[in-house]
Amino acid sequence: MRARILAALSLILATGARADVSLEYTVKAAYLPKFVPFITWPETAFTSPTAPVTICVVGTDPFGGKLEQAASGLKSGERAIAVRYLPAPDPTVSCQLVFLGPGDMAVAEGTLDAMKGKPVVTVTDSGLKARGVISFLIEANHVRFDIDAATAAQGGVAISSKLLSLAHAVKQRGQP
Amino acid sequence: MLGPLAAAVILVAAGVLMAIYQEQLYSDQQTKSVREQAQILAASAAAAIVFDDHKAAQEYVDALQVNPELQGAAIYGGAGRLLASFARGTHLPPLLATPQTGFGPGYIDIAVPAGQNGTRAGVVLLRAITEPAERRFARYAGLILLVTMGALVIAVLSFAQAQLSRRAQQLANANARLQEEMEERRKTEEALRQSHKMEAIGQLSGGIAHDFNNLIMIVKGNLRLLQRKLTDRESAAGYITNADEALDRATHLTQRILAFSRRQPLTPERVHLSTLAQGLSELLRHSVGEKVEIIPRLNGTWFTRCDISQMEHVILNLTINARDAMPEGGRLVIETRDVTLAVPPPDVESQNFVPGDYASLAVIDTGTGMTEDVRRRAVDPFFTTKPQGKGTGLGLSMTFGFVRQSGGHLVIESAPGGGTTITVLMPRDREVG
Repeated sequence: MRARILAALSLILATGARADVSLEYTVKAAYLPKFVPFITWPETAFTSPTAPVTICVVGTDPFGGKLEQAASGLKSGERAIAVRYLPAPDPTVSCQLVFLGPGDMAVAEGTLDAMKGKPVVTVTDSGLKARGVISFLIEANHVRFDIDAATAAQGGVAISSKLLSLAHAVKQRGQP
Repeated sequence: MLGPLAAAVILVAAGVLMAIYQEQLYSDQQTKSVREQAQILAASAAAAIVFDDHKAAQEYVDALQVNPELQGAAIYGGAGRLLASFARGTHLPPLLATPQTGFGPGYIDIAVPAGQNGTRAGVVLLRAITEPAERRFARYAGLILLVTMGALVIAVLSFAQAQLSRRAQQLANANARLQEEMEERRKTEEALRQSHKMEAIGQLSGGIAHDFNNLIMIVKGNLRLLQRKLTDRESAAGYITNADEALDRATHLTQRILAFSRRQPLTPERVHLSTLAQGLSELLRHSVGEKVEIIPRLNGTWFTRCDISQMEHVILNLTINARDAMPEGGRLVIETRDVTLAVPPPDVESQNFVPGDYASLAVIDTGTGMTEDVRRRAVDPFFTTKPQGKGTGLGLSMTFGFVRQSGGHLVIESAPGGGTTITVLMPRDREVG
């Protein structure tokens, strides 16, 4: 529970009260590939030992190219980090991290249900009511995130305690 | 003294070497420990660094403030920007992109990379206090002092030990000297007692012999008178002759006693012992009989002064004694030599001895020899080992008395079964006659 105390991010979104949308998504775009080194997927999540970790953005793309920028050159272990954009959930595409943007709530919930028990880390945007393994939120003009380690564990995915310590709220394994 | 000093120097050197080694070990240990702390910080703050979380990073850094060995700690994020730090009386670099180890006055900088799963996110820097040399030296000064004092104590103890053993050696020497002197004194006392005894017996027997001699003269005179009166009585003449012979023997005996008691009038003459012995050879051969072979070794050339007839008597006496010691026969050597003595021969008291030249005459037999006890008492008057009535016990004592009276010495050497050597040492007479 100490993770809750430690969860404070420093990047200030705006000097005033108004949030700059583009800055918010620049930060979120920077965060997405940075989560990857702190997450351990089972080997079955990949098609091959050298296959990249693929970040899939489902639905609307709010990043406008910032995500590719942030992911370029980053590696997690031996694996590179790739970005793909999917108009709708596609079971034929191997995704390890799925970002559900501020789009259709029904699509988001359907995707979350479909991903349950699979080695996929779902990331839900701050505007959504549905919550994935990682869910962004805005607190005092800072981008922060909650982590549901319990759901991740169901899919065989382990999330480093170092990352948990930065989260705003954590749902630990074994918790309902 | 050199041994303990060397030991002390070695001790001190060993102490210094040990201190240097300890110091090196301590320094390595400290570096290692700081590096480990930096690595722990880098690992645990990885997420904070990756996500540029100043607050979280600061919390990690602040946790290290409890370590008094750290002057400062800092976390640098992407592009080497300072993310979080604390510093105590020191200035940490505002930018640090590459991990490296550096040294400054009184501190050491250890920087390690931070990241997660192969991605480099930043650098963690720890600045640890290193002790100044003088403080480190002070830490060992106590030890050095202790070692030096130990060495000093060893040196002092060794010195005392050496003194003590020298003192003990001196004491042992003194004791040995004392023992020797006591033995010397005991011998001297023994000799003195012996000579007193001899003196007393000599005086007594001399006095008796003198009076006895006079009585014999009276008896003899009266016998002459009686003889004149009894010329007609043939039978009486035989008795008188018997009495005369007995008186002659008595006279002879008193002469011997007087010789022993040194009251005998002597007529010293210049004489050559070898010549004397040579002249006696026929008589001696007859005296010892067939079974004993006489071997003369007459090498003496020096003259001496003594009463010739008494000296002849001495030689004859010694020869007969030697013969009696060899009942089964044997060899008898009569030897004369020229000897120069610087120290008294055995059993001769030093106060009676004059170093110088002596004419020596020795009678050496291969007979039964004497026990030490018998040898010691050999010159006592009336001491004899011969059966009752065979010896008077005056032979050797008379010889001894005569030799001493003539300024010479009598030396008896013997061992049971090893024969006997009796040596007469007479002072050399240098007077050109």
